[in-house]
Amino acid sequence: MTIQLKKFGITLVSRPSGKEAWLAFQPVLGEVSEDEGIIVDFNDVMVLTPSWADEFLTPLYKRFRNRVKLHNADNPSVSATLAILAKP
Amino acid sequence: MCIDLIAKPMQSALTSIGKTAQMLGISIDTLRRWDLAGRLKSVRSSPRGHRYYLQSDIEQVFHEKHIVDWAQQWAAAHRAMEPVSNMYCQTRDVFQARLETFQAGLSRISPLTTVSLITAVAGEIGNNSYDHNLGNWIDIPGVFFSYSMRSRKAVLADRGQGILRTLKRVRPELVNAQEALRVAFTETISGRFPEARGNGLKFVRSVIVNNPFTLYFQTGNACLSLKKGDRDVVVHQAKTTIRGCFAIIRFEDLS
Repeated sequence: MTIQLKKFGITLVSRPSGKEAWLAFQPVLGEVSEDEGIIVDFNDVMVLTPSWADEFLTPLYKRFRNRVKLHNADNPSVSATLAILAKP
Repeated sequence: MCIDLIAKPMQSALTSIGKTAQMLGISIDTLRRWDLAGRLKSVRSSPRGHRYYLQSDIEQVFHEKHIVDWAQQWAAAHRAMEPVSNMYCQTRDVFQARLETFQAGLSRISPLTTVSLITAVAGEIGNNSYDHNLGNWIDIPGVFFSYSMRSRKAVLADRGQGILRTLKRVRPELVNAQEALRVAFTETISGRFPEARGNGLKFVRSVIVNNPFTLYFQTGNACLSLKKGDRDVVVHQAKTTIRGCFAIIRFEDLS
């Protein structure tokens, strides 16, 4: 499955919108089969912050662990956010 | 002079360069440089004619020149009123809309790196205000958010509880705003226990020290300044005490 984050918006900055995206996407995630990979595609996302990502990406990783792969994550705020989230 | 500008709009739509410089408190040479750089365009009858300025442009520059003072005074006032609507985001939805307008304006003058990172920094600081003060604003809810593309700065302020009061819930041993501000910028800690997060201001710091930007941040009577290359977070005692948080983001070094 590929999750195109731009479908949630291109300026992803607040906790409530991240949480809402996570909740709204639960029915779709419920259809993922046991061995299916999850691709998170950041294409066209202009702005990402840790507040949004903590509500969507962190629980996604917790649930699907190493089945999650990131694509097109070279946008500057996307890279900076992922770097912060990766720190212990 | 400042009062004149607001209270007595000029009769003529165009103002001479000398009068404009006087009104704005800047030199004629600065106005000439701004004209050449496109930061404040003059009106000329011919390529070599005298420079004149539109009243609306002068008022816009006057506004931009004072946003830092207005935000700081609003955050520090013992009693305050709501800021004027074009600088006030009572709710997060209004802030998001204004942030996206800011992002669009930035994209007209800046490379993608600056647009992405500066919008993210402003978004994180502004949203922090709502995250930590929802239901607990001291008097006026929301965020003061204004910016100047011309002078490359964005200003945010809130009249919330401030970082000390927020973090004291999870770190009761914190005794003053200086200590709390240092913790907020250096440790992963959330004042929204039991949420195990709190990356926002570490993210802000990381972006600022790795790019040609600067940040001034104040909460209570504690303040810090960050710029590219800074390794340490040095917190000082501020000259004035503010209610919640106050931030100036500068992005002068645009390519």
